[in-house]
Amino acid sequence: MRIENLAVNKNGFAFDPTSGETFTLNETAKEIIEDLARGVEEKEIAKKLSEEYDVTQEEAMNDVLDFKEKLKLYGLLS
Amino acid sequence: MAKKTYEKPTIIKVESSHSKAGVPMPKQKIRKKIGGVAIDEMVERFGSPLFIFDEKAIREKYRSAYEAFSSRYPNVQFGWSYKTNYLKAVCAVFHQEGAIAEVVSEFEYEKARELGIEGKDIIYNGPYKPYDSLVTAAKEGAKIHIDTFDEINDLEKVADELGFEIPVAIRLNMDTGIYPQWSRFGFNIESGQAMDAVKRIKAGGKLRLTGLHAHIGTFMLDANAYKVETTKMVRLMNEVEEKVGFTIEYIDVGGGFASKNHLRGIYQPPEVVVPTIDDYAEAITSALYENIRGNSYPKLYLETGRHLIDEAGYLVTSVVASKTLPDSRRSYIVDAGVNLLYTYFWYKFNIELTREVSGISEPAMINGPLCMNIDVIDESILLPRLRRGDKLVISPVGAYNVTQWMQFIRYRPRVLMVTEEGNVELIREREELSDIEKREILPDKLKLK
Amino acid sequence: MIIAVSGVNDTDNPGPGIGVARSLKEADSSIKTVGLSYDVQDPGNFMDFVIDKSYVLTYPSQGWEPIFNRLLYIKESYGLDAVIPTLDAELPSYIKYQDDLKEAGIKTFLPNLEQFELRSKENLGDISEALKISYPKTKKVFNIDQLKKAVNEIGFPCVVKGNYYKAYKVKSLPEAVYYFTEISNEWGFPILVQEIVNGDELNVIGAGDGKGNLLGLVAIKKMTTTHLGKIWNGVTIRHEKLLKVAEDFVAEYKWRGPFELECIVDEDNIILIEINPRFPAWVYFATGVGVNLPKRVLDVMFDKNSDMSGDYESGKMMVRYTYELITDIEKLSELATKGESNG
Repeated sequence: MRIENLAVNKNGFAFDPTSGETFTLNETAKEIIEDLARGVEEKEIAKKLSEEYDVTQEEAMNDVLDFKEKLKLYGLLS
Repeated sequence: MAKKTYEKPTIIKVESSHSKAGVPMPKQKIRKKIGGVAIDEMVERFGSPLFIFDEKAIREKYRSAYEAFSSRYPNVQFGWSYKTNYLKAVCAVFHQEGAIAEVVSEFEYEKARELGIEGKDIIYNGPYKPYDSLVTAAKEGAKIHIDTFDEINDLEKVADELGFEIPVAIRLNMDTGIYPQWSRFGFNIESGQAMDAVKRIKAGGKLRLTGLHAHIGTFMLDANAYKVETTKMVRLMNEVEEKVGFTIEYIDVGGGFASKNHLRGIYQPPEVVVPTIDDYAEAITSALYENIRGNSYPKLYLETGRHLIDEAGYLVTSVVASKTLPDSRRSYIVDAGVNLLYTYFWYKFNIELTREVSGISEPAMINGPLCMNIDVIDESILLPRLRRGDKLVISPVGAYNVTQWMQFIRYRPRVLMVTEEGNVELIREREELSDIEKREILPDKLKLK
Repeated sequence: MIIAVSGVNDTDNPGPGIGVARSLKEADSSIKTVGLSYDVQDPGNFMDFVIDKSYVLTYPSQGWEPIFNRLLYIKESYGLDAVIPTLDAELPSYIKYQDDLKEAGIKTFLPNLEQFELRSKENLGDISEALKISYPKTKKVFNIDQLKKAVNEIGFPCVVKGNYYKAYKVKSLPEAVYYFTEISNEWGFPILVQEIVNGDELNVIGAGDGKGNLLGLVAIKKMTTTHLGKIWNGVTIRHEKLLKVAEDFVAEYKWRGPFELECIVDEDNIILIEINPRFPAWVYFATGVGVNLPKRVLDVMFDKNSDMSGDYESGKMMVRYTYELITDIEKLSELATKGESNG
């Protein structure tokens, strides 16, 4: 898992110092990455999102799963 | 406490193949209204997907095209090309504006008559016109454009049957310097076939040649091809009048003018490559003036379809699902597919959203609801993360789609017209099972219940 | 004065933008340059000693409006007096909408549409006739049958080329068919089949004032090229007949703006093979030998008197080399997230 190493700056630009890959990401993505890096469960992340934003827990859960899929494809999660 | 606006999580790898992804460029294209009416409201009332036509846009387009020609060559008449869009309401708008009908089959002929168009105001084209339809068309005084020598024989028989001389036109094909050359329809000018056809008609003594017609191609990006076409037609007219003695009353240069659609395989955007209506008009009318001898100016007929209707038509479709593809692209599944968008073969459509979606853009593809791999409306588009129910407005789709759409595994959707006054009219109802089953017959021994 | 240039992709297949920007800055250090970039990774975006500020633009294929709006945004937020587009793909839009830019207070100096069409290879025969130079036997073909007939008539080897882009030397019919298909798939029709002409390729860079007058000319010979045929080392030459052809070209067509002529020259026999309606990537070569065409074009734009002399020495060399710039990833971060660099 490389997301712990991901250096995200204030612009939403991320640099992976182990692979040299660079990314842009939005605030929601940043929050999820931080939670995943701390080992927070998917369900818990979805719940947090639904409390903070105007989104149902159901939709947020789908998004978290989809987002994890993307992180895997980018080699940021195993 | 009010909750914050939700932006779906998005992460994009910065790589050269998607050098704009993640960059707050391009700005998302937004269209909230068609003809002054909110798209979201129309979808709420009539469902999704929806074809929507803008009456005002149709009339304005027609008027500017008519003006481009009539200001240069007053003796001009437009014929509405039914095959481009034969929804009654659309045809009626063009007829109200003064267009006659241009049909290419007995089905379209019947449609025009049903709508109240008289035979004399119908141009009857096409490579196959069933005998009975020729009898009707001749009886009703339609402008019949002959495509083959076989059709000359048929029409002479019709003339015998009806007991009068039938006025006819012949369709021509020629080299106008463009590729592909449409040589399949009508009689070739360069080879002398066209002149042979004229002489054949004269020798038969039962038909009277009154017009010349040609249609050189479709989505023509070179206005000059029309100058070549018109020049060749007028020269043939001069020759026919001089050598054979027919009086040519009209020249029909066909259609094929491009719309502001983005042809696949052409890099430059339509606003750069598509000629203006004035370019086409100038090419055609200047060729008329340069080549007409004497004082008789034949009536100029035009059958432009796509140019007049394409940009007035929109397809509104809704996102029903989304997923991440193995190549990390996003796929949006929407409720309209290539079954409704025959012209996706040629065009990369303009795709707009009905609301501002914040967030960074990511590479996506838009897939329709068909259970088929080819159902791709756009293979590569940068979009912010959309939510279920978000709407995409696809355009220009006014030409050919509502005639060539397929009833394949789904019902064809409703079609609306937003009127000049801003009212929303339902002009074609959504299909239902009985529409399709009505024509089917299940043999008794196969009945299951 | 703030001038935008495109083509800041200073890679192994370089765009002309950096050469243009460098020429302007050397002539007048008070000029600020804006880089119009289509890729966040373009080297020009990082070369702050030539480009003061970079902006990422949408591709020209996406239409004129987003580009126009971006230029207006630049004008508003940073300032913009003129734009010098240098890439083939963007020229049709800029030429078509040059009046809109003028109205918005952004100057350009470009050929009109008619002049722009001269670059079509279909027209080179007529141009050659007007300039009284020879033109190789050429056949226009639209299908394989016509291609076969044409190559039979012209004989192998010959050249199969697109109307605007791409040219391949072919030695057999299968090769000819292969490239015919490849070019037509990408660029459409017509395809041209042309006899091979012997001689050296010589190039001329120049600019016209739109009234038939020259703003300067420099002729060169490419000494070494990359595998893409791009100049690496070159030398200035003074081939008087070749320079005369370029002068006649400007006079005959009242060419407006920069151009490059690519010619095959066999002693006094000159064949025009390509007209590029823009600065070539080696534009700085001319600047370096005293003919600063970007600056002269700029002077004409702003109705200033400028040195228009055509004098330069032959035997001056251009040597391209590679050089590494080390910077912080923060720059990429700005471009990737904001679409513009800190200027």
